Amino acid sequence: MPLAPLPVVVPLLAAVLLLVVERHVPLWFADLTAMLVALATAGIAAVLTYNASQEPILYWFGGWQPTHGAAIGISFVIDPAGAAVACFAALLFAGAFLFGWHYFDDARARYHILMLVFLAAMTGFCLTGDLFNLFVFFELMSVTAFAVTAYKLEASEIEGALNFTVMNTIGSFLILAGIALLYGRTGALNLAQIGRAIGASEGSALPAMAFVLLFTGLMIKAAVMPFHFWLADAHAVAPTPVCVIFSGIMVSVALFGAGRIYWTIFAPIHSTTAVFKSFLLHVGVATAVLGGCTCLMQRHIKRLLAFSTISHIGVMLAGLAVLTPGGTAGFLLYLAGHGLTKGALFMLAGILMSAHQDIDEIALRGKARDLPISGICFVLGGLLLAGLPFGLIDTGRGLIDKATEGVHAWIPYLLALGSALTGAAVLRTAGRVFLGLGPDPGEEEKSPTNSEHEKQRPSGLMLVPVIVFLVACLAAQPHVIEDFALKASAMFMNHDGYAALVLDGSVPQMATPPAAHSGPLIGWLAVAVAILVAGFQLAGDRLPRSIRRVADLAAFPFFKSLDLAHTGHIGDYAAWMTFGLVLFALAFVW
Amino acid sequence: MSIFPYLAAAWLFLIGLYGVVTSRDYVYLIGCLTVIQSATYVLLLAVGYKLGAGAPIFADHPPGTPAVDPVVQALVLTDIVVGAAVTALLLSLALQLQKHRGTIDPDELKPTQD
Repeated sequence: MPLAPLPVVVPLLAAVLLLVVERHVPLWFADLTAMLVALATAGIAAVLTYNASQEPILYWFGGWQPTHGAAIGISFVIDPAGAAVACFAALLFAGAFLFGWHYFDDARARYHILMLVFLAAMTGFCLTGDLFNLFVFFELMSVTAFAVTAYKLEASEIEGALNFTVMNTIGSFLILAGIALLYGRTGALNLAQIGRAIGASEGSALPAMAFVLLFTGLMIKAAVMPFHFWLADAHAVAPTPVCVIFSGIMVSVALFGAGRIYWTIFAPIHSTTAVFKSFLLHVGVATAVLGGCTCLMQRHIKRLLAFSTISHIGVMLAGLAVLTPGGTAGFLLYLAGHGLTKGALFMLAGILMSAHQDIDEIALRGKARDLPISGICFVLGGLLLAGLPFGLIDTGRGLIDKATEGVHAWIPYLLALGSALTGAAVLRTAGRVFLGLGPDPGEEEKSPTNSEHEKQRPSGLMLVPVIVFLVACLAAQPHVIEDFALKASAMFMNHDGYAALVLDGSVPQMATPPAAHSGPLIGWLAVAVAILVAGFQLAGDRLPRSIRRVADLAAFPFFKSLDLAHTGHIGDYAAWMTFGLVLFALAFVW
Repeated sequence: MSIFPYLAAAWLFLIGLYGVVTSRDYVYLIGCLTVIQSATYVLLLAVGYKLGAGAPIFADHPPGTPAVDPVVQALVLTDIVVGAAVTALLLSLALQLQKHRGTIDPDELKPTQD
């Protein structure tokens, strides 16, 4: 029996079965089943990853093979990169299920069912070889995500979910319009077949239009600036186990999809390649820096982590947009490292919420002294985000830095600045919440946000996935994973090889391209900046007044304008999106 | 093939987007979202249209009769299904918002700032 469809079929089937027996089983049964199913899916995906790294796997549903280079059926094309991302997603789901043990006691198994469908859609998205199928899997992912965000049906959740849904739905329509244009020109929906036929359109405006539509849609879903506004609203209010998935994999998987579409379809077109490499690379750098600055301004801890995700998405986009094997391999490793670290940090925020029924940094000042292990993990997460030169994130960052350095020597420093600021924000929060550092807030202590709370649960169990995630991120062997990521990205980027595999059935050669890796210096530098900034924010009031005033004057207008841009108004978000869309289209003209 | 369907699709997209940007009411905004979605229907159907061809139903026609592209029609159907699910979800969220906050005007609902 072929394994290929199982990563989608297993969670989907489990969701259906769970729905049938929902009324007759206790909650622990649903928790356990969901976690085991996620682990089983990860296991299947791991086997597929291993097999695909020997030879990519092609699977036609219903046996509808292509004839004369025209594909009628829908295929799963399993390359090592896709299978590995699917495996990683399933592992993250398993961690989220473990963290969310007995989290939703009032909803019986509904939450598990939605999350399993979510998982099935995500693995399908990673493995499919059909453009429309890709869109449908992404829609399925989005709709389940909308539903679980608004799950608690409290005022702030509903607003976040509404903004999330409206923006992402507009993104979906843009993607669909792009698909329509490609289909109209090439008469195909199979990625490989479109990729072969589109070469004839070189020089016409159509590939550029389709590229703008598809990529704007994907960038909305990946929360790249200026399409990022919905993310903070949604990730700040979603239930914590769901946040782990949202920030850990859902946004970065949109970038993975963007890479897949680019390499299978648009790679031979010169205009799209040029725009991807110049425009989107710079958008990524801007997102990394501005996301970092905005992150530093937050006091709602989950919102802070959400902005940090935006910043790191910028780093990943920069890695992807260099269009070299090193950059792409760096993107894949960074995706995994960031997913684990951010997942762990969101879980720690969840532990704070569960133990102290608040999520505001100022209100929680010094209250979490009784949670030392969580505190240590929180600091470690902050250091990893900043750029501590150990583990998965660092291996990815080393590759991305080396690749982007070739475009402009200053890009790695800007990316490091963005991550350093996100790390600083986390360290500052850790200092304030777990150690009680920083000035006594007095009146400011009153939180402007509504009081938030989550069910009280034993923190020991919740710490297990946190520690597993952080250890996994740190324990990864750089040489092994780097070799694997380079080999995977070579296949991921093989436009002709992909088309030949799907349409002619000829297996492409797999090779490990060489790639350089930049040293740990920049990582240490970023950690130093992070500690300095965090220290300044916590102990700035002890500095001489003149220094403080200069720092305020220099930074205030910038931070103020960033703050003003984040209005929380859906109309403004849509206006920013239009602005981004126009800018993207202008990049082609210019 | 005439350019008018494409212009119509672009127009629907733009006015829908204008509606979303300026909307003072979430229900109205959700309506505007479906206007944007209709742009994708028009675009898809225009892509598959053939002048003088009939519907892709071959029950009473011999095979080989010119017909418009059935694939895009299947895509439109999928699109409608997804759109219906999203609209239903959005409307139920708007309803809950009215219950909890007493208004569905985005201007009055700006989430509390940090």
